Amino acid sequence: MRDDGAGPPGAGVTGVVLEVEEFAVHDGPGIRTVVFLKGCPLRCTWCHNPEAITFGPQRLAGHEPRVVGVRTDVATLAARVLRFERLLVESGGGVTFSGGEPMAQARFLVAAAGVLRPLHVAVETSAHVAPAVFARVVAAVDLVMVDVKHTDPEIHRRHTGRDNALVLENVRQLVAGTTPFVVRVPLIPGVNDDPANLERTARLVAGAPALRGVELLPYNTMAPAKYARAGRVFRPGFDTTRPPRVDPTVFERYDIPCEVL
Amino acid sequence: MNEHVRALRDALLARDHHRFRQPSDAAHDEAFAAGLAARGVPPVLRASARLADVLDRERPVLLPGERIVLTRTVPTTPEMLTPAERADVAAHGRVHELGKVCNVCPDYATAIASGLLAPRSQAEAGLVGASPAQRDFLQAVVESIDAVLRLVDRYAALARREGRTELAEVLERAPRTGATTFAEALQGFRVLHYALWASFSYHNTIGRFDLHLWPYLDADLRAGRLDRDQALDLVEEFFLTFNRDSDLYPGVQQGDNGQSLVLGGVDRDGVEVWNELSVLSLEASLELGLIDPKINVRVSSATGLDRYVSGTRLTARGLGFPQYSNDDVVVPGLVGLGYDVRDARDYVVAACWEFIIPGVGMDVPNIAALSFPAAVNTAVHERLASATSFAEIQQAAHQAVADQAAELAGATRGLVMEPAPLLSVLMTGCLERRADVSTGLRYNNYGIHGVGLSTAADSLAAIRTLVFDRGDVTPAALLEALDDDFAGHDALRESLRRAPKLGNDDDEVDLLAAGLLGAFAAALAPLHNDRGGVFRAGTGSAMYYLLHAQQLGATPDGRRSGECLSANLAPSLGVKVRGPLSLLHSFTKLPLVAAPNGGPVTIEVHDTVFRTTGSTEKVAMLVRSFIQDGGHQLQLNALDRDTLLDAQVHPERHRNLIVRVWGWSAYFVELDRAYQDQIIQRVELAP
Repeated sequence: MRDDGAGPPGAGVTGVVLEVEEFAVHDGPGIRTVVFLKGCPLRCTWCHNPEAITFGPQRLAGHEPRVVGVRTDVATLAARVLRFERLLVESGGGVTFSGGEPMAQARFLVAAAGVLRPLHVAVETSAHVAPAVFARVVAAVDLVMVDVKHTDPEIHRRHTGRDNALVLENVRQLVAGTTPFVVRVPLIPGVNDDPANLERTARLVAGAPALRGVELLPYNTMAPAKYARAGRVFRPGFDTTRPPRVDPTVFERYDIPCEVL
Repeated sequence: MNEHVRALRDALLARDHHRFRQPSDAAHDEAFAAGLAARGVPPVLRASARLADVLDRERPVLLPGERIVLTRTVPTTPEMLTPAERADVAAHGRVHELGKVCNVCPDYATAIASGLLAPRSQAEAGLVGASPAQRDFLQAVVESIDAVLRLVDRYAALARREGRTELAEVLERAPRTGATTFAEALQGFRVLHYALWASFSYHNTIGRFDLHLWPYLDADLRAGRLDRDQALDLVEEFFLTFNRDSDLYPGVQQGDNGQSLVLGGVDRDGVEVWNELSVLSLEASLELGLIDPKINVRVSSATGLDRYVSGTRLTARGLGFPQYSNDDVVVPGLVGLGYDVRDARDYVVAACWEFIIPGVGMDVPNIAALSFPAAVNTAVHERLASATSFAEIQQAAHQAVADQAAELAGATRGLVMEPAPLLSVLMTGCLERRADVSTGLRYNNYGIHGVGLSTAADSLAAIRTLVFDRGDVTPAALLEALDDDFAGHDALRESLRRAPKLGNDDDEVDLLAAGLLGAFAAALAPLHNDRGGVFRAGTGSAMYYLLHAQQLGATPDGRRSGECLSANLAPSLGVKVRGPLSLLHSFTKLPLVAAPNGGPVTIEVHDTVFRTTGSTEKVAMLVRSFIQDGGHQLQLNALDRDTLLDAQVHPERHRNLIVRVWGWSAYFVELDRAYQDQIIQRVELAP
């Protein structure tokens, strides 16, 4: 199911698309179409897209059961996205691949990015992928929006199922590279919203020439109903009733532009 | 907003001025018509007598600090006919709504410039050689003007007594002999607008404020009599006046009062109008955050992004306006119906979204409403059992649309309206012809709304897909399910609901909608009404999205009997479409030039869209893209569903929560539950 981005790209390559969202205004510059690819190697306790976790099409329960995730080829996806090319380009926007973990379908992503080239292409990633795959995708896009969920390996593992070794290595690639990138921190109350973690996050990327800024995404409660429909149990492991601490000043001290979304 | 305006706004919202209101006097109102009937007063003189009755009972009020005066204290305007007379009128003619002249756009500018003494003299001069009917009309004009001036004089006297010399001078001069400054022009406007409401004309639109009032402001700015900030204060004070008495105005719901103001567009010669007053108007509305006046912005493919950005700031504020209309579509549309191009360029927006011509239009743009889904249901029930192709069903649906259109048009015969002598002063040519506006003007066309287009198109799409293309469903099974209102047919209903839907930029469905609208326009094109006018096909729904829905059985798109239709042009309620880009593009495929009565694409935008910098520009680009693609009219609601639900439970916490209903903005908590619920449904699946 997963692909690694190697092999010949082409319009016939297929991937599993969860959803195509039009008129996204918070996922990169300008007006964007966001392509959500299905499947993710992490299991974040706060995940707000539980239907994006498993790879492949999936039947959702509920009073109107439906299948989410459609295997799509690059040409079909491109036709859908490029229909509104004028507006996307005019606005300085483009297309953003999100997920799930879009890099888990790297071959499809790279092929699609190639065909969508008239547009600005961004990717939103957890960075939990093999560094070689990460490098191939980064080379194919104009902007990387990378999550740094926690700087501590153990806490990262406790809340996402995996430690942060791959994440940190891939972030270092970005720091050393030239592809513009944005660091995103989902602020989870009591998990990663403490000043010490944010300080370490800032130090990780401060001074990187390609860094465009940090975006903080405060956790907001969502209906656990989504979990039940996706056949999952919502076990947050943190206090969902308390709002997270939102403090952009940490980053400003490091001269890093910071926006709260 | 400066402290002075803020204080006026706070007092208004606290309804301080309601304490000056006199108790309503049903006995007086009843006796009034009876007295006129006993004296055998002819209708047009009853209308002027009624205006005099109301205005003479008014008690002048100068609210603290206000500079643009006139406040209603008499809460009701009496009927001029007794109940028996009204029943008689209804039995012999067609009474539209309340039977008054309404929903037209007066030519305020001429009367503001000349003052009321000039038309009064003109009326008196016209008495020479006049027929008895003409004499009555002209006398009613004189009496109406005198009644207005008597009230103004009493306000002026009060201003003198209270030492408000400047205000007294404005009142003594402007309404009589015309305005010379911006402040006088605004006061002159207020006098006319106030008097129209008192005369029982309603849905009194405001028209092209920036076009007509700019010369006064321009002169004041050039002469140094005003600076920009002072001008903004005056505009804000003027806008406040539209919210002062509006709870007394008739309408289907609170807020449905027709106080539409139009900015931009081209003038009669085709020259673009956009000036500092246009900008100040948007600024004033943004700062005040009130539902009146309801702002419309005329745009075209040439309009720059900055104008959309200014408009979008209002949308982001949650006002439900501006509503945009596209000159590239509307002007040719009106010309196609026979409007002179210079008049067409001068179009304004009526109470909701209907395009009307100021001064010369006596159109009734909302005389009836066609139900597209009812037409499709007729075709389905009559033809589905025997049809051998989808084309037969589609053709039958078009025929049913045409039949319904012809029937609605035929039922408009014999329209009767009460005379409106004061309004006649403000409409072009009435004094020259010595005839009341209610007898007709240059344009006497009737507009018919087109309701439920998405439900109708979705129904056709479902039939084509399931019955004819796939053959999954037999005609008999579908007919039975419709008859049973889908009870016991859950699986079939589910399949119908999953069939292709309007609003996904899918030609297969979008062109079905285009066909239905085209059939409607084509059916009306050869028809004439009995006032010499034509019929105009429209895309608005007004309140019929509730009324038609109540009479409409189950539809083949999976909608159950009684379930709401969408307001104006929008995907069917409960349908999740691909997104706003697809949605807007779908509706640009309709034959909009052929259906120029008006009726906007209506979309809900989640208010979180506006939480980051730059979002306003992005929404502005979305609107511009719709206009550039040939869309005709658009209104946007920025809403949050949770807020609406909370407002239903705790109305006291959300008294200022504004929503766009069908063609006007209102305070959510003042709406009836059915309207509230429909809006919440709209928001649930907002793309």
